[in-house]
Amino acid sequence: MSTPYGELLIALRPEICLVGGALAVLAVDLPKNSRSAQARLHLSVALGLLALATAYAWNLSAGVPGPLFGGVLTLDMLGQATRAGVLGLAVLTLGITAGTSRLRHPAELVAMILLATAGFTLMAVAQQLLLAFLALESASLSLYVLAGFDKTRPESAEAGLKYFLFGGVSAAFLLFGFSLIYGLTGSIELPVISAQLALTGPSPLLVVALVMILVGFGYKAAAAPFHLWAPDVYEGAPAPSAALIASASKLAGLALFVRLLWPGLGAASGNLSGAAGWLPVVAMISGASILLGNFAALAQRNVRRLLAYSAIAHAGALLLGVIAAGLIGPGALYYYALTYGLATVGAFGVIAVVERSGRCQDITDLAGLRARSPLLAGCLFVFVLSLAGIPPLAGFVGKFVVFTGALQMGGIASPAGWLAVLAIALSAVALYYYLVILKQALVVAPAKGAAPIKVPAPAALALLGAAALIVLFGVWPSLLLGLFQ
Amino acid sequence: MSPLQICLLLSSLLFCIGLVGVLSRGSAILVLLGVELMLNAANINFIAFWRYGPNPDAGTGIVFVLFSIAAAAAEAAVGFALVIAVYRHQRNIRLQEANRLKG
Repeated sequence: MSTPYGELLIALRPEICLVGGALAVLAVDLPKNSRSAQARLHLSVALGLLALATAYAWNLSAGVPGPLFGGVLTLDMLGQATRAGVLGLAVLTLGITAGTSRLRHPAELVAMILLATAGFTLMAVAQQLLLAFLALESASLSLYVLAGFDKTRPESAEAGLKYFLFGGVSAAFLLFGFSLIYGLTGSIELPVISAQLALTGPSPLLVVALVMILVGFGYKAAAAPFHLWAPDVYEGAPAPSAALIASASKLAGLALFVRLLWPGLGAASGNLSGAAGWLPVVAMISGASILLGNFAALAQRNVRRLLAYSAIAHAGALLLGVIAAGLIGPGALYYYALTYGLATVGAFGVIAVVERSGRCQDITDLAGLRARSPLLAGCLFVFVLSLAGIPPLAGFVGKFVVFTGALQMGGIASPAGWLAVLAIALSAVALYYYLVILKQALVVAPAKGAAPIKVPAPAALALLGAAALIVLFGVWPSLLLGLFQ
Repeated sequence: MSPLQICLLLSSLLFCIGLVGVLSRGSAILVLLGVELMLNAANINFIAFWRYGPNPDAGTGIVFVLFSIAAAAAEAAVGFALVIAVYRHQRNIRLQEANRLKG
């Protein structure tokens, strides 16, 4: 049997392109040059955008769908769509970076963003535990560096270290869980694992393995009770890094998670009415995240920490989407994760632009944004309302498809139904803290001496693009949902 | 007790020692050591399951371990870089003093 390396090369062109792009960005910036930091940043971002665009084009023509290279990776709709979504979110992050970054090493920043994106795209197509672990690690390692990238601020270094320590422990849990799965089934390929588990049935060791894997992924999705890193990282990391951590990383992580759980460990899912398996555990994590995220967000004064707790609440809803994916497929989950990512990138983009002309940590730092920059205030309006789930924006449709999926699982009087009702009820609580942000931005008068904010062109383009996509996907959801029909 | 069971006991013990180290130590480097112990516990599992498993000819476990050792090395490099970044600001690496971010 000859190994089909040619096939692999064609399927992995997007990743090759991203890694090549990262090296090219570093190489162009390497010679000692007299260009200003601003020019170097723009050159790096232009190269980075070129790499992302090429990767996107190659992802569209990635070849025949189906398992590749002996089942190591698989090209299916979830994988292709997640790749495309991750690349799009990375483009928006680069746009924000070009407009706002004043960091000292622009080429390295862009290269790290590209390397992290390569990890995300691999996570989207991995169908084997080894590739899944390596993709997750390479993406995470880049994100740790990005979180600690601003060496001048102690907060950034601290955020990076905390993110790293939590991430390292969760990676160890994940690897230990994978090793037990390998021991139980003798394979690391998801289809074989699935067949073996269906044959052997539940065992105590399998329960240990499942719990360990869920700890690892709960951390990745920032779900309670593994959320402790999220507020600190969102607060301390540079705004473009926080945008990438909050959006693309979530989308890729959930795509990998849903692929691992349903096609891989589906035989060990148990059910929500008491049989042991991972479904009851995911349901508990989901409920805890929805409760903790929404109530803790009410107490926040720092806008970044508020976004972090809102991210935890959204992680709960996304895990509900993972549960529902067994019945309605991953389409609803993908739609929710992507549109949530767009809104979060946008919100962090607005924070990044405001930060150019002063502090932007407390919610009151946004006061009078409408007078200081109507463009920023308008974009923030769209992003925050989409996060809150107001129709006709994409956030509403995302919540709608996920919650109806959960309700279909057993009606309103089943555990999934209770979770959906809990999430819907707490959306009303969430509306309060989202409106607090909007009140500061749109109603309150600006502080004395607050100058108008000039929005740099690349950042303005990225913010307008994100807002336009949210409205577009909101009024025409079948653009994304139709892909999975 | 079969050799596989002894290996699994050893790896579980290592994992627990690592976890206790992570949770109880105040120095960032000792926490990092704990994480490495936990990763290596998983590696022992892979080797044991490969060696005493139904088909040791496939070599799956040993390949997985080679890659995961490489990943752990990369992780240690990034970790020490971040420890140095924190050291530059607070002149020590005690995690109790890394508490600027809270709310």
